[in-house]
Amino acid sequence: MPQTPVQTQPPQGAPGAQGAPGRGAGAGRGARVPAPQVPPEFDGLVIWKMEPAKLLALVKDPNSTVFQKAIACKKLSIVGGKEAVQPMAALLDHPQLSCYARFGLEPNPDPSVDETLRAWLPKLSGRRKVGVITTIGVRKDAKALDALTKLIDDSDAEVAGAAAASVGMIGGMQASRALEAALGRTRPPVFPVVARATLLCAENLMPANRTRALELYTHLSATTMPGPVRQAALRVLNANTQAPPGAKDWVPPTGEAAEKDKSGFLGR
Amino acid sequence: MAEEKKPVTRRGFGKALAQAGAAAAAAGPVLAQAQAPAGQAPGQPAIGPVVVGNYSMTDQLVFGGIGIRGRGMSDLRQLLGDNRVKFVAIADVRESAREMVKSTVDNYYKNNECVMYRDPAEILERKDINALLIATSDRWHGPMAMWAAQSGKDMYIEKPAAMSIMESYALADNVKRYGVVYQSGAQRKNQYAFEFAVGLARSGKLGRLLEVHADTAIGLGTVDAGGHGWWAAETPEPDPLVFNWDKWLGPCMWRPWNSAYPDRGRGEFWDFHAGLLEWASHTVAMAQWAADMEHTEPVEYEPEGGQFRGDGIIGRYTINCRYTNGVKLVLRNHSWRLLGSCSNLFVGTEGWVETGDSGRIEVSDNLKPLLPTKQGTRYDPTAEHIREFLQCIRSRTAPRADAEKTCHTHVTSHAAWISAQLNRKLTWDPAKRMFLNDEEANRMRSRAYREPWRMEALATSM
Repeated sequence: MPQTPVQTQPPQGAPGAQGAPGRGAGAGRGARVPAPQVPPEFDGLVIWKMEPAKLLALVKDPNSTVFQKAIACKKLSIVGGKEAVQPMAALLDHPQLSCYARFGLEPNPDPSVDETLRAWLPKLSGRRKVGVITTIGVRKDAKALDALTKLIDDSDAEVAGAAAASVGMIGGMQASRALEAALGRTRPPVFPVVARATLLCAENLMPANRTRALELYTHLSATTMPGPVRQAALRVLNANTQAPPGAKDWVPPTGEAAEKDKSGFLGR
Repeated sequence: MAEEKKPVTRRGFGKALAQAGAAAAAAGPVLAQAQAPAGQAPGQPAIGPVVVGNYSMTDQLVFGGIGIRGRGMSDLRQLLGDNRVKFVAIADVRESAREMVKSTVDNYYKNNECVMYRDPAEILERKDINALLIATSDRWHGPMAMWAAQSGKDMYIEKPAAMSIMESYALADNVKRYGVVYQSGAQRKNQYAFEFAVGLARSGKLGRLLEVHADTAIGLGTVDAGGHGWWAAETPEPDPLVFNWDKWLGPCMWRPWNSAYPDRGRGEFWDFHAGLLEWASHTVAMAQWAADMEHTEPVEYEPEGGQFRGDGIIGRYTINCRYTNGVKLVLRNHSWRLLGSCSNLFVGTEGWVETGDSGRIEVSDNLKPLLPTKQGTRYDPTAEHIREFLQCIRSRTAPRADAEKTCHTHVTSHAAWISAQLNRKLTWDPAKRMFLNDEEANRMRSRAYREPWRMEALATSM
């Protein structure tokens, strides 16, 4: 056994006076823009240390600032339970806090989150509706498939695209039928999203329902599909299905070249 | 004995490279390739990787760029110096950055053809562009990579690659699904001293491997791990044609504008920072490579010592991780042999090796006969790393820092960071992609994207 690697040098790498805002990554590498003063109303650590009950009180309190509610939602993303769902959901139509509400709700495993998001879907529009649709997709809420399928035809292309993407992420047979139908009726900019969502759906189906998955891949290999989607589908088909009959455009060489090549490579 | 030369810092190297690039640009592309510096054979490019073979027979690779500043400019100069590459467009939400890149590219090619876009979506729509150089800040690396894959474009993308465990998986899945070539900016995978150290471990010259150590200095020590930061005072937003704050924020949570964010970089703001991965992108990648564990992650993570507060800043730290085969991965920001930044140590039953950015290598006495006769010096291996990427575009094979390996490096580093933030031991199931019996940790596997951005992926935390 050789000598043990003993570190004899003083500690290195612990970057100096850690803790104070302003000593960021890269500090000490050279002149940097000085850190701004942190306004006391924008210091998050006090809120971060709060118990869930106090965090909830902050979210519910109409006198809380946007900052206070934002940081509370972030912490509730880790510690919030069922009781945190409705107070955060109430922020889903807030212009600045809707993203924080989703940040808090998205990883919460309580099933009431799904019911709540479904209930909010028809109440929202524009970006905030897009956000809720996306969170439903991330949470793979299959009960939302009917509502999302209808939204693929929404007049707002961002809403329609988000709905298609979420249907693809949720996956399953119902999703595959909805997306395959949408491939035939949607136009850009929604159509490419539907194609990508169908690709996701096919990939998700492959282990459990190979036949249906290969049907989807075959559909996606049509020349009318977006190039990257078509190529992705073709790679899967190449690896998983029998090769089709020989290429019809190819014919053997004739004439002088063929005569010379009769004896094979060594005769050239 | 090590060569005694004036130490070259990463910044200093970049500056020297910039001067070389500027000189080459001033001379024009033809002259830049015809006039070789002393010691270099005539006909080789003055900057960038040496290109041999009959590349004139093939079409050029048409490149675009997204979010190129500081580090990205170094990558760009390497690309420009390679005669297989034609760089044609830049997209950036920041006007000054767009113009800087256009100026550099147009000066190099002696034309006015580099097209500027405010929205990256426009560059993704260009079917004539084969590949992208993406060097935005951390928060955009994952989404941009997924969009690029969905657009069928190969990419060289700066690190860290993803902001969360689930984004790491989603990124790798998208790259695999669309069959594009991905190289992350973990350029040390093409740096000689690290290759040598990894080679000792993988060839069995260290005996049975026991521990692989990674210097993860920056990150935990500086990022507000628990407080999720602070907001700077609100100031009037800039003209979006000059600086598009909404698009700069991208998938991160909304906050009021203050120039401190873009001017100070990702720094201490949790929203903009990938935690340990500032250095772990390099050093954990190297450790996983040495341990032949590039396609999985450790199953245990345990922060060591009493300095983990769990709710705020963390100083000196060690995080002990363990793979299923018992090999330990140790992440620490202290007690290195001062061989330079981004150090790695690999320990086996029959020897050890440590190296870092200095290019110097130290080994146990029994392995000293294997050391190169001349110790290395610090150099930037980006040229080699980019050259490998370009070759992989041609061969459609995976480079050393492909998305799959990068994913596992990132999952490992994020899992370790989560254990540090929670200040407790965690058990990870690589197959299920989840922590065992720890709901809080599992909730921290992902970060919701701000609307309207989304991650089209099967990998979610649910």
